[in-house]
Amino acid sequence: MNTSLFLGKQALPKFSKCNITKTLHKRFFANVSEESKQQSELFRFESKRQREAVGRIEKIEVKYEGPPEESTLMMNKYLSTPYDCAKHLGEIVANRSAVALVNGETLWHMHKPLEDSCSIQLLHYNIPQPAAVNKTYWRSCSFLLGAVINNCFKDNVNVQLHSFPSPNVRSGSFIYDAQLSLDNWMPTETELRVLSAEMVKFCRQNNPIECLNVDADFALLVFKNNPHKTQQIPSIAASNKGRVTLFKVGHHIDISRGPMITNTSHLGRITIANVFKLNTDIPGGPIYRFQGVSLPYSIVLNHVAYSILENRAKKLNPARIPGLHGVSDEDGSFVKHAVA
Amino acid sequence: MNQADVSKLVSKLKIKVNPRLRKFRNAEGPLGRLKKLRKTVTALVKHERIELNYPRADEARMYAERLISEAIRYGDCHKTTMELADFWLEEKQLVHKLFKVLVPRFQDYNVSYTHMYRAPRPYPGPMHKKAVLELRGNPYPSLLPDMISNRNLIHNVLLDEAKKEYRAQKYAEIAAKIESAENQFIGKADTSSNTSNEEIATSEKSRVKDAEGSISESSEINKVQDDKK
Repeated sequence: MNTSLFLGKQALPKFSKCNITKTLHKRFFANVSEESKQQSELFRFESKRQREAVGRIEKIEVKYEGPPEESTLMMNKYLSTPYDCAKHLGEIVANRSAVALVNGETLWHMHKPLEDSCSIQLLHYNIPQPAAVNKTYWRSCSFLLGAVINNCFKDNVNVQLHSFPSPNVRSGSFIYDAQLSLDNWMPTETELRVLSAEMVKFCRQNNPIECLNVDADFALLVFKNNPHKTQQIPSIAASNKGRVTLFKVGHHIDISRGPMITNTSHLGRITIANVFKLNTDIPGGPIYRFQGVSLPYSIVLNHVAYSILENRAKKLNPARIPGLHGVSDEDGSFVKHAVA
Repeated sequence: MNQADVSKLVSKLKIKVNPRLRKFRNAEGPLGRLKKLRKTVTALVKHERIELNYPRADEARMYAERLISEAIRYGDCHKTTMELADFWLEEKQLVHKLFKVLVPRFQDYNVSYTHMYRAPRPYPGPMHKKAVLELRGNPYPSLLPDMISNRNLIHNVLLDEAKKEYRAQKYAEIAAKIESAENQFIGKADTSSNTSNEEIATSEKSRVKDAEGSISESSEINKVQDDKK
């Protein structure tokens, strides 16, 4: 096996600088599949429709608690997001805030419109009790890993994303389970490095992570080509009043109960450490578990300590292995209750 | 050729020394340059942390390092060193501070005696780069954020879990070793009744000791975390 599984790597001729730049340039835009583009177009239409359905704009009063100073902001109901509030408070606050805490209890995605007058806190990675932020970060890493898996394989490898389990930072790695049309694929060091580099490149595009709450029919329309997600959507919707929360980054869309971090620029060091084949009864091909480890950009760790984390992430993560039956409600990629 | 070993003549500094000195052009020429730097070195010894323009900080740092290392090397009974201190420290009470406070503080250091950070420049404002120059071991709170003591931060959570897993693995190995030793002991006792039980017991003890040694050696992760501090 060599790196030729991945897009664009085979096309790189040696010793010709001109060709390399051309290929890379092409590669940068070509790796988004037609299906992803359609999905993101649907997402865009739906979010536009929801924005227009707001109608008459009402004002809400948002109390901000925290540095640099407490303030009260007049925002628009169903339109303004915590990120809009953060922009009023300054660039530093806007760039570092990972997730908002509404009324001191509900974690709120930074790009999700606020629904009523409330008080918000903006959480970032270096706070005294960052457990919620860490979990959000880990979930977002899984989500972004899914985006990378979706984009980076060549057309002759059929990729169907399955799901990712509830984020658990203590397990040492974030996970995405995906179905590949490859039998007994054992990734080499080079392939893992290419995957990591793809993820780094993807995150350097600084895409915001958007959020949209839709009904089950629309979600089924978006994921009509993915048998796993199609199967998961009804049970997710049933436990969430018929609604499904979608997240979008770049052209990639996924289901998750959220919340996610604000922007892909928050990711600092990223390693995709290992890929395991799982024993499951899911039809249509083997399921592979992609594992990685990552740290936010604001946390700098020396390479020796980071290599310890990398080595740990190489071991199989003991999280629940997906099966044909039993979409468990502990599963984080499914909506359980509206915390997003 | 008999060439002098330079490191025996001049103390080796633990910072990067610029190959070319900055001129700091002024009416008095090179002496004026030294006078400027003298002000900065004096201020550094006096206040222990100063914020100033980057070139001046970088240049003065070399002289401050040299002064302290000479003071540590020769002590206060050396005429040349005392003259050096007299030149670089404009306020004479600081000569006492140099020999009585800074020398004891720094004599066991194997890193540089000063620390320099790039500081943000005011915006809008003059375009000069700014720096903060400080003596190590100063009484002020650290300028860098504390990423170690809060064990809830994501990297600390990951490192702590890695440490736990490593420990568990090592204990499992030790347990396996002891078990195999016990099995051997039982096996030997069954087959050969000639071997004295005491000998076997001692050999088993030594095995256990080996295993304990291996775990004390293997607290790598601990060390790494300490290094990080």
